[in-house]
Amino acid sequence: MRKKYVRVGVILLGLLFLVSLMVPGALAKTKIRVLCFAQGFAWPELFGTSGVEETERLKQFEEKEGIDVQIEWGDETAVRQKVAADLAAGTGRYDLVLVGSDGGVQTYGYGGFLEPLDDYFKRYPSEYFDPEDVYPQFLDANRVEGVLYALPYYSFGAGIIYRKDIFDKYGLTPPRTTDELYQVLEALKSGLEGEGITDVYPLTMRGAPGEEPSLDLTGFVYAWAGYPAWFEGGAITPKEIKEKKAMPIFTGDFAPGFQAFVEMCQKFGPPGISTHTWVDMMNIYAMGKAVILMPSAINGYAALGITENENVKKYTRFAKIPTGPGGKQIQSFWTFSLGINKDSRYKKEAWKVLTFLMGKESMQAFAERTQWPNVTMKSVLYSDVLIKKYGIEEIKLNEESILEADPFYFPYIPELNEYMDRIGTAASEAIAKTKTIKDVLSGLQTWAMETMLRGGYYK
Amino acid sequence: MRWQYKFLIPSLVILLSIVAFPTFFLFYISLHQWVLFKRGMPFTGIENFYLILTSSDFLQSLKVSLIYTLSSTVLTFVLGLGLALILNEELKGRNVIRTIIALPLVIPPVVAGFAWKFVLNREVGIIGAYLLPKIGFMKSLLADPSLALGSVIVADIWSKTSLMFLILLAGLQAVSPDLYEAARIDGASSPQIFSYITLPLIKPAIIIALIIRFIDAFNVFDTIFVMTSGGPGTATQTFPLLGWKIGFLYFNLGQAAALAIVMLFMTIGVSILLIRRIM
Repeated sequence: MRKKYVRVGVILLGLLFLVSLMVPGALAKTKIRVLCFAQGFAWPELFGTSGVEETERLKQFEEKEGIDVQIEWGDETAVRQKVAADLAAGTGRYDLVLVGSDGGVQTYGYGGFLEPLDDYFKRYPSEYFDPEDVYPQFLDANRVEGVLYALPYYSFGAGIIYRKDIFDKYGLTPPRTTDELYQVLEALKSGLEGEGITDVYPLTMRGAPGEEPSLDLTGFVYAWAGYPAWFEGGAITPKEIKEKKAMPIFTGDFAPGFQAFVEMCQKFGPPGISTHTWVDMMNIYAMGKAVILMPSAINGYAALGITENENVKKYTRFAKIPTGPGGKQIQSFWTFSLGINKDSRYKKEAWKVLTFLMGKESMQAFAERTQWPNVTMKSVLYSDVLIKKYGIEEIKLNEESILEADPFYFPYIPELNEYMDRIGTAASEAIAKTKTIKDVLSGLQTWAMETMLRGGYYK
Repeated sequence: MRWQYKFLIPSLVILLSIVAFPTFFLFYISLHQWVLFKRGMPFTGIENFYLILTSSDFLQSLKVSLIYTLSSTVLTFVLGLGLALILNEELKGRNVIRTIIALPLVIPPVVAGFAWKFVLNREVGIIGAYLLPKIGFMKSLLADPSLALGSVIVADIWSKTSLMFLILLAGLQAVSPDLYEAARIDGASSPQIFSYITLPLIKPAIIIALIIRFIDAFNVFDTIFVMTSGGPGTATQTFPLLGWKIGFLYFNLGQAAALAIVMLFMTIGVSILLIRRIM
């Protein structure tokens, strides 16, 4: 009898143990880990201005979807490294990772590290994200050979941010062509010098070594050549390059746009421009030390957010970017995007979080907080807050800039990151006059030929 | 196995997993083509080493690294020794001055780099935009290729002289005052005391200071990264910046590993040379 009680007791204890293991598992929310930068700037309505809070809105989403969103922040460089390391290691620790449209999407897309997203729209329609509302250019920027690998958050196209008061003083109007741009810059230079103003520059752009200036400078190449002139015939995918055996043309059609960028920086930019990043160009404009900021107009809007200069606040205007000799506009295009890690174990849940983070509500919150028109959705661009801030005309100009942008103004090849870095570094060298334009382009050409040959493009 | 040795097992396991395994893995991937956007990881023998050592990037970074490391090591040593000798004397307010000199050491290199970047900035910096133009110097210290390397070396010297100072001061304080007193009684001059007593007795401290500083300067990344990102162009691109670019911008982990191994052997080689030459 006693033995029987003991047996029943052991069985009951065993059952209790099993249940205790299973119940929390069944009740636990799925953890979705996100890795990105811009702490406190991205989604403060969800993660607070510190980036580590959990707001009521986030809690509501988590409760509704049964998901626990864990976000990990870092400095941009550190995050890019972490993304690379994590994807290479294949741990699947992060379900959503940051991938910019300037190399990350291409590298990881071709490498098979990201989940293709097109099917998800059909299989799991999202109440948070309506792809029809998004300007197609911003989605296209995240496609590699037609496959969508990431969704965009704040994004930008090209434009000119300028000081209307100074333009008016010298009787200038925003340039529509690059010839007019030269004339405007010359007039500003002589006007400022004539008044003895030596610490205000006609132009601020970015010329630091690395990938940063490439985003803008290859937009110059596109405008001068009339096509993405990196490889013969404007080939922009590995398939096209291989089929056409398209050779690099850095000493050919690439050169005039490159030269124009370098010479503009040297002649009209601040003395330190060969080391300037977007932060420097933003600060210089914000301090009232530059008349024109281009072509990445978003940095001008960022400057408006930090400036204490009343004239900058009052007289800053946006204009469409000029058209170059090749009949195309100068480009500068980028999206802050997140993609789903191919090794994620919870892809469906990751998709829900992704569409929530990139969706209408988040975009609207971004517009209301920053008051920048660098949003991905038409409904948000035309929302009251932005119209009230900039007026309908400037909003229309912003929309035209997006619609006229070509996200494929540079090739979508797996080696894009290295190309971007080398082109930007070559520009920095040329701007600083370490080497001549001819020498840096010749160096780029040799390097590109060797790289493509080694990469098996011309077998 | 004697029972005492069993106590070593936990430490050995930790060391093997955090030192030996990564080192072995570094050698392993340096012999393979591991590029993130390419499938597979084929064995390529010494190709990564060949490509790195014959690239123009390597030669440029070698030049920059040598100038940076040698100038920074020598100048921080000379300054550190000078300060240590002065502040080893009985001076009024000596402790306060020592503390002030040691302060840069507690400032993180990234913070120091940003501070120097803003101070030297040609458009807004107090030195670059206001003081230097006032005396007719109009060039940009960080954007002029002939001045940028010198500027980052100055920032490094400011940041790291205190390390040399502290090591050498500790060495000086270990020298018995009796020796100086005896030398003075024997009529030795100050240069003689320095050459025949001070210098030989602080030799071990000097060697340690030089080796630590050399390794530190050779591997510096943060200060240069925030001040110039290796620019303008590649004017300040040292080996660590090149390795970072190859690994995390070009996603070529095999070549980055090969460069890391080359750097490792260079460091070991110079350290051995220093020890043998000076000892």
